[in-house]
Amino acid sequence: MHENPYRPIKAQIEKVITETPTIKTFVLRPGEPMSFLSGQFMQVGVPGMGECPFTPSSDPKKTATIEFSVMKAGAVTARLHEMKAGEVLGLRGPYGKPYPIKDYHGKDVYVVGGGVGLAPLRAFLLALRHELDHLNKIEVRFGARTPSDISYQTQIEDWKKWKNTNIVMTVDAGAPGWKGNVGLVTTILKDGDVDIKNSVAVVCGPPIMMKFVTKRLLDMGFAGKDIYLSMEKNMSCGIGKCFHCSLGSYFVCKDGPVFTWEQIKDIPDPW
Amino acid sequence: MTEHHISSANFGRFLEKLLDVSRLIAPVEEFGKPHFKEISARDIPDVRLAGYRTVESLKTYFYPLIEKVSRYFGEDESARGEGFIILGARGCDLEGLEVLDKVFSEGDFQDPFYVANRDKVTVISADCTDCADTCFCTLVKGQPYPVKLFDLNLSPQKDGYVVEVGTPKGQALIDSNKGLFSKVPKAFLDDKENNRRRLGDLLMEKNRDFKTRLDLSETHKRNLENTAWKQLTKDCVECSNCNYICPTCSCFLLLDQEADKQSERYKVWDACLKSGYAKVAGGANPRGELFMRLQNRYHCKFDYSFDRLGRFTCVGCGRCCLDGCAGRIDMRRVFVELEKKVPLTAKLK
Repeated sequence: MHENPYRPIKAQIEKVITETPTIKTFVLRPGEPMSFLSGQFMQVGVPGMGECPFTPSSDPKKTATIEFSVMKAGAVTARLHEMKAGEVLGLRGPYGKPYPIKDYHGKDVYVVGGGVGLAPLRAFLLALRHELDHLNKIEVRFGARTPSDISYQTQIEDWKKWKNTNIVMTVDAGAPGWKGNVGLVTTILKDGDVDIKNSVAVVCGPPIMMKFVTKRLLDMGFAGKDIYLSMEKNMSCGIGKCFHCSLGSYFVCKDGPVFTWEQIKDIPDPW
Repeated sequence: MTEHHISSANFGRFLEKLLDVSRLIAPVEEFGKPHFKEISARDIPDVRLAGYRTVESLKTYFYPLIEKVSRYFGEDESARGEGFIILGARGCDLEGLEVLDKVFSEGDFQDPFYVANRDKVTVISADCTDCADTCFCTLVKGQPYPVKLFDLNLSPQKDGYVVEVGTPKGQALIDSNKGLFSKVPKAFLDDKENNRRRLGDLLMEKNRDFKTRLDLSETHKRNLENTAWKQLTKDCVECSNCNYICPTCSCFLLLDQEADKQSERYKVWDACLKSGYAKVAGGANPRGELFMRLQNRYHCKFDYSFDRLGRFTCVGCGRCCLDGCAGRIDMRRVFVELEKKVPLTAKLK
């Protein structure tokens, strides 16, 4: 018999970290060996409630535990947010294609995130950390709704100390004590941030943010093949059978979730 | 290609023999139309192999409406599959089966539940001898007789059938019932070809008003961004019957629920016409409007299907046209209107 691709693997919640009022990070210890590459996603299942697709937010090189940072958005994630250390979840995956990080060697990497999009980008940045000697530089531009909606605040301070790494943040609405930028993330994408002709942009965030960031990157002179987008679709099976995540001829679950703009630019309103 | 003949009297005996060793699903007329039904020996006289495809498609027998596929931990569901014989599948049914095979049995992952069901089924197909008003297999590169995936195929004659062997499994059925079959007279083979030609002509005549100049795939590619879709799909009411009745629509959702204090996982048919089908947790919906969803269904069958599976995934059975559609949309009418609306400046992919 073929292996059952719908079988969830038991994973215990080892720790729950509250990142923001709406985002929690769940540290999971899978009962069977599981690993992923940055960009791939997994199906996280709440027993009896259902599964949701998430890209892990932890360092892909650390496999004993896998972390997911989850925003409370629907019924399953609301239940997940009530769960505590010691409870169990189901895991399937990893699915999809990872970021081709080796192709980024010798280039500037322009990382643009919005909201909970920082979760997959954390895994991406932690993967890049192992490649710092091969990269020209990393420029991170990140936007959140308010200062309290920024995840990983203490870790971000550590990332700023990495070699050739620069991080700029913005919020849609400021708050007392916030000294950073106020405005949408597109307002902090400045000409000259990176050497456009020798750069890749890696974008992750809500669909509407990705749409406008892509437009801005194209205006800045980025080629479609150098813009890597992590597409958010309603993946159910994860293996290209259920058709839910259809994007033109692609299935986001197996052909993505990372696509270049070149791949999807002819699909009407791919967001 | 090996062919045999079986008389009508012997055919009844053949079905009795088959019922001794297997469950048998066959087309039986109910309310004036053919329906697939599991039959017993007393139903044999009611089996109708003349005519055209059944009201419902074959997919339910390989891919049930709801199927338990796993559970949260503990002993896993095993894919056993149920063995049975399907009698009277048509050319379009088998084209549909080929699509399901490509979706579920090919690629990096296989669906073990479909594969188990599929492996245990024997297919005895049959040529059409008539067509429904909505049949259009010949518009989508099909034909009113089976050319693939059958173990045995039956071509109806005045007395009995010409039986073509498709697989060793089919040959074994002949071998174990040798006395019932005889050599085919040449005239019967001519009758078989004549019937096939006659049906082809009949389909051409019935679909005369729906013939298009462009290949359907090209028509769809050229209209990808055409606002005409809003008008073409205005009668759709989102009932999704087209999805459910289609032999190749295979979308499903993995549904988790509590049962007997255990969390179980089911694979349940889903429908791309439903508003929440592609909606993501944050609330964004890539196909928020109904016309976008119906357009996507057409592209799925006539455009994207080539990149994904190398073929049309509409088999022209016509089940979703008129009778099968609450809005009485005729897919063939959409093809014609779409071709008229091909923008001269439309870019080809």
